[in-house]
Amino acid sequence: MSPERPKWKAPVGLLALLLMPWLAPGQMFTQQGFFETDFTVYPQTAPDDSGQAISQSQVEWAPELKWGEWRFKAALDGDFDSHRMAERQFAVSYWDRGVLRPAFEVGRLSVSWAHGPLTIELGKQLVRWGKTDILIPTDRFAPRDYLNVIDPEYLAVTAARITISNQTDSLDFVYTPRMTPSRIPLLDQRWVVAPPQAEGIPLMDGGAEYPGGGQYGVRWNHVAKYLEYSFSYFRGYNNLPLLQTDYLPALGGIEVTRNYVNLQGIGADTAIPLSWVTLKAEAEYFGSKTSQADEYLLYVVQAERQWREWLFIGGYTGEYDTQLHHVLAFDPERGLAKSIVGRVSWDIDTRRSLAVEAVERQDGAGFYSKFEYSQMLGEHWRVTGQIGVIRGLDSDFLGQYHRNSFGDLIFRYSF
Amino acid sequence: MNKLRLAVLLLVCSYPSLAQDPRQIITEVQKRSHAESEQYQGLLQVIESGGKITDKRWTYDRIGSHGNSKAIIRFTEPAEVKGVALLIVNHPDRASDQWMWTPALNRDRRIAQQDRSTRFFGTDFSFEDLEERDVDQFDYSYKGEDTIDGEPCWKIESKPQSNHRSQYTSSLLWVRKSNYTYAAIENYRGDKLIRRLKYKNMENVQGIWTSRLLEMEDLTRKSRTILKLDSLKYNAPLKEDQFTVESLRRG
Repeated sequence: MSPERPKWKAPVGLLALLLMPWLAPGQMFTQQGFFETDFTVYPQTAPDDSGQAISQSQVEWAPELKWGEWRFKAALDGDFDSHRMAERQFAVSYWDRGVLRPAFEVGRLSVSWAHGPLTIELGKQLVRWGKTDILIPTDRFAPRDYLNVIDPEYLAVTAARITISNQTDSLDFVYTPRMTPSRIPLLDQRWVVAPPQAEGIPLMDGGAEYPGGGQYGVRWNHVAKYLEYSFSYFRGYNNLPLLQTDYLPALGGIEVTRNYVNLQGIGADTAIPLSWVTLKAEAEYFGSKTSQADEYLLYVVQAERQWREWLFIGGYTGEYDTQLHHVLAFDPERGLAKSIVGRVSWDIDTRRSLAVEAVERQDGAGFYSKFEYSQMLGEHWRVTGQIGVIRGLDSDFLGQYHRNSFGDLIFRYSF
Repeated sequence: MNKLRLAVLLLVCSYPSLAQDPRQIITEVQKRSHAESEQYQGLLQVIESGGKITDKRWTYDRIGSHGNSKAIIRFTEPAEVKGVALLIVNHPDRASDQWMWTPALNRDRRIAQQDRSTRFFGTDFSFEDLEERDVDQFDYSYKGEDTIDGEPCWKIESKPQSNHRSQYTSSLLWVRKSNYTYAAIENYRGDKLIRRLKYKNMENVQGIWTSRLLEMEDLTRKSRTILKLDSLKYNAPLKEDQFTVESLRRG
């Protein structure tokens, strides 16, 4: 019988393993981060949300260590706000599956190793696919935080990513053992608009049914002399949910439960630099084994032109349905489809910029436009002012938010 | 002995005519600046027309030389653009391919040909100015002799060949006679002078005469950027696989 090992050995061993790169010679430690405070004013109240002035703050610290062929990347985030969008208890979240934003979160924690054409990255990381900017149908490993539907942020996923690349080709394999869902708008806030028949009835969160099992995908990208293109395959789950609603007479409310359907996606994207514009196109077919799930094709065609300090982007986002089940869902990707989209930005000088963007549904039922002015103050501060206008019909995905036009002032300190 | 004198005389007489062959001068400039790789840390000062100064820093890594080189520029300061990186893949027969990595978006973007006249992240260098000029992509004509900062120079006009798309229709190059290095470059669109680049603080680094201070002036905006090269090294052991789009993401 072997003697019992002291209990302190395992944690100390793990700590030593983590500290090893820091103590080893030849390493390079860097860190960066930001603190951001955002004041938003909505001139109109919404049926279930009388809040017209909201402040939210976010802080991020992102250390990074390079040690030969190894990279250790981390990010710790904190979120605080006046409108109960973030948790108000001290807890550090890793899996990011809550309804509210976590007060504190491990935003990133990954280790990568690269040797020759091979790169392996393990841990919580951002995985981005696709080439277009307006809507990115092939970006299947990129769930988003939609607490504010028109200004979503990307969420990292826990994944193993293996990339083999050379000057012209790259092959990317991604496996996530657990799906990270997109965070949908809060049921008692202005970015959820109840249908007329449910108006006045409280909506209650019924939780989520998360699928078991992992997701995987593969993408091949080729850089040719005059164009760049890629093909991708994804098998896993849609990070945007179907919504099941149940009226609970005892509670006098409607319970909303989130279900995440099986998804198989086949996609392609391309960027073709022509003499006057760069043409970008991207498409993904969304198939599913789940009987309730729709099957459809999302596509984007956009042209962009940089002229001195001006950038012009214009395009069309389309959808072609092959199977529809008319099940209630939260799907801003499809909500933005069948639209004409444009953006113009101007870097006035090294410190100031102006931008205007607009989305118009092709049937005219929804319209969104944002005007933005941004200015750097000193070496670390940036102030950004935004005015957003939303117009349209209640029946349209964009139009339903017609009470949510806003003014926004953002102060950001980067270090 | 007479034969030797004659040979020396012939050599001396032929020197000016050879030196006045503009292509040969530029070929010699390229030959003397050849290095298998280059690394430096750049400190940039962007001086706006109103006198406002913004400091930026980047690291620069290059492998190969001129028409066959690849380079990565990675910002380290200010904090707002830290991690933003540009990969430049030069080609001997056409304009370079460029990709920009934006860490905030976690995405790369291919810089299109027509975007090359854009300022690179608020500096007075355009994306095209960051390419390495290759002798075979231009036609040259000799424009006489001139003096820059007291140094005698050859003055040469270059025009891009049809296969090399450029924002500039022509450039005037001043090459120092003493060491075959550029003293200044003026870039024109039609008759209008757009940008002027001056090469200052010449130093011999590992046998290569190198400007440690470059000053790019944008005549349209009336602003200029001063680039100081720190920790400059040639022929460091860099690898080809450090210069791919994937390596931009890896950081």
